[in-house]
Amino acid sequence: MENEPLIECKSVWKIFGDRSDAAIRAVKERGIGKAEVMQEFNCVVGVADVSLGLGKGEILCVMGLSGSGKSTLIRLFNRLIEPSLGQMLLHGEDIGSMSLERLREVRAKKVGMVFQSVTLLPHRTVLENAAFGLEVQKIDKARRHEIAGAALAKVGLGDWLNRYPHELSGGMQQRVGLARALASDPEIILMDEPFSALDPLIRRQLQNEFRQLSKELGKSALFITHDLDEAIRLGDRIAVMKDGAVVQLGTAEDIVLRPKDAYVEDFVAGVSRLHLVKAHSVMHHVGDFQSRQPGVNPATLPAVPVDAELDTLIQLMTKGHQDSVAVTDAGKLVGVVTLRSLLQGVRGREPTEEIAL
Amino acid sequence: MESLTDRIDETISDGLDWLNDNWSGFFDALRLVMEGLYNGIEAGLTFPPFFVIAIAAGLLGWWAVRLRFGILSALGLAFCALMGLWPETMQTLALVFTATTIALLIAVPLGIIAGFRPRLHAALLPVLDMVQTLPPYIYLLPAIALLGFGPATALAATVVVAIPPALRLTAHGIRLTPVNFLELGQATGSSGMQMFLKIRLPFAVPSIMAGVNQCLMMALGMVVIAGIVGSGGLGATIYDSVRTLSIGKSIDAGIAIVILTMILDRTTEGAIGRERKAAA
Repeated sequence: MENEPLIECKSVWKIFGDRSDAAIRAVKERGIGKAEVMQEFNCVVGVADVSLGLGKGEILCVMGLSGSGKSTLIRLFNRLIEPSLGQMLLHGEDIGSMSLERLREVRAKKVGMVFQSVTLLPHRTVLENAAFGLEVQKIDKARRHEIAGAALAKVGLGDWLNRYPHELSGGMQQRVGLARALASDPEIILMDEPFSALDPLIRRQLQNEFRQLSKELGKSALFITHDLDEAIRLGDRIAVMKDGAVVQLGTAEDIVLRPKDAYVEDFVAGVSRLHLVKAHSVMHHVGDFQSRQPGVNPATLPAVPVDAELDTLIQLMTKGHQDSVAVTDAGKLVGVVTLRSLLQGVRGREPTEEIAL
Repeated sequence: MESLTDRIDETISDGLDWLNDNWSGFFDALRLVMEGLYNGIEAGLTFPPFFVIAIAAGLLGWWAVRLRFGILSALGLAFCALMGLWPETMQTLALVFTATTIALLIAVPLGIIAGFRPRLHAALLPVLDMVQTLPPYIYLLPAIALLGFGPATALAATVVVAIPPALRLTAHGIRLTPVNFLELGQATGSSGMQMFLKIRLPFAVPSIMAGVNQCLMMALGMVVIAGIVGSGGLGATIYDSVRTLSIGKSIDAGIAIVILTMILDRTTEGAIGRERKAAA
C-alpha cells in the first residue's frame, strides 16, 4: 500500500505569523526546526515537516489534540490552505502549482471533503444538498438527482430525499454530508472530524458504516480525529500528531504496543487491548518456549491463528482452564501464548524474556 | 470665523448653481425618469376603485401574516377612502414604491460589492452615517434647487434617505457567510460566481429582505416630510393643514399614514418570515 501513494505530502510546512516569510526562508536555507521557527521568528507553526502518503483503498487516520495542526494538515491536501514549504502530490502531480482551473477540477472530481460542522445548505432539500457537488460540475438536474439519490440510498437515507436539513438528526445530517462527497465519486475523501459532534452510539455506528462503505467502494480516506478509539476502529494506519509534527505513524497495534515516546504512551495508556492486539504480538516463539519449558508439548495445546485477538485467547484460556495456547500460521506452529505473556499483552507490553507458566 | 463660514456657504451655493448650469440636461432627464415611474405606479394604484386595492392588500396580508391581519388591512384602507383621503393615500403609496424601487436598485448592488470589498465598505460607512444623522429636511433644498418643485424632488430626497439601511444590511448579509460554507464551496470546486449565487447570496437573503423592509419604512417617513416640496399625497395634506391650522384634517392624514405604515411593515415582515420558515 505504501509503495505507490495516491496522494502524499513531502516535508510540508505551514507557518503562520507576521514574519512567516523570513521563517520559511530560514527553514529552506538553514534547515532550522520547529522550535527555532517559534523562538527566532515568533511564528505559529501549523504543520512542521510532515511527510505522509495515502495508499489506494487505505484509511489513514490523523490523530491529535486540538491545536496539533491536524485540521491545517488536511486542508493542505485540497489546498484550502496553501503550504508554506514542501510538496503536495496527487498521482505525482504537484497540487501546489496547479492552475486554479485544474485545482477546481481536482476538488470537484478527485478529492471530496466532509466537514466537522454540518454544512448543509438550509434552504435546500436533502437531495439538493447531496447533489451540490454535481451541480457545481454543471451536470444536468435529472442526472445529478439520480446520482445523489443513489448516494443517499448508500448511506441509508433513501426515504429522506425531499426533507430539509433541519428535519434530520445530527447523525443523519452527517450522512448527507458523506453522501454529498460520495456523489462526485472522488478517489480520495478528506474527513475533517466528521463524527466528533455526535453522541457515542451514533458515532460508533457511523464509524462502522463509513469503514464498510469506503472499503466497499474502494475509496481512500484521510480521516482526522481527536479520538484514539475512533482512529483505532477506522484506521488502517494511524498518524499521531503533536505540535504540527507527526510523532508516530503505524498500525493501531504498532502504536499501542510500541509507542515511540512518552506522549504517545500517555495517549494509548487507557486503550483496551482486547480487540486490538493480536496473538502474534504476545506469543513466545516456539523455539524459545520449548527451550525454557521442555515439559510441555505445544502440539497438544489448543491452537489459534496468529491474528486471533486477545479477547479470543482469554475466552479460550478461561473456558478450557488452559495456561497456554499454541499459535499457528497457516496450520504451522509458530509460537505459544502463556498466561503471563497474555496479561502483559493486556497491559500493552510485549512479552518479556522470562517464560513461565 | 464668520467670513469663513460665509465663504463655505457661498461655495456650496456656487456649486449648486454650477450643477444647475452645466448639468441641467442630466437633472431634467433624471426628473423625467422619476416622474415617469411615479406617474405609472400612481396611475396603476388610483385607476381601479378603492375596494379592489383594499381587497388586494387584504389578500396579501392574509398570505403574509394571517387572516385577521388581512381583514384589518383591507378595513384600514377602506377607512382611508372613507375619510376622503383615497387619492392622497395612493399617491403616498406610489411615492414610497417608486422611491424604494430606485433606492434598492442602487443599494443592493452597491451593498453586495461593499460586502466583498472591506475597503469600499470602510469608505462608505462614514458617508452612510452622515446621510442617516443629518436631519432629513436637509436633502430637500438641494433637491429642489436641481429638480424643481414636485414629486421628483420628493423622490430624490427620499431615495437618499432610504438607501443607507438597505445598503448596510445587504453588505452585512454578504459578509456574514459562515466560514464553513465558504470552505464547502471551495472544496467542491465552485467558481467565484457559483460561490456567490449558490452560497453567499442565499445566506444573505434574510438580511437583504430586512434591508428592504427598513428601506420601505424610511421612504414612508421621508415621503411625508417631502410634502413641503410639493410631493402631493398625505404629506402635502398635512403641510396644507398645518398652514391653515385645520387640526382635524391633519389628524385624518396622520391616521392614514399610520395605517399605511402598519400595513407595509407587517406585510413585508410577514413575507420575510414566510421565506425564512421555508428556508429554515
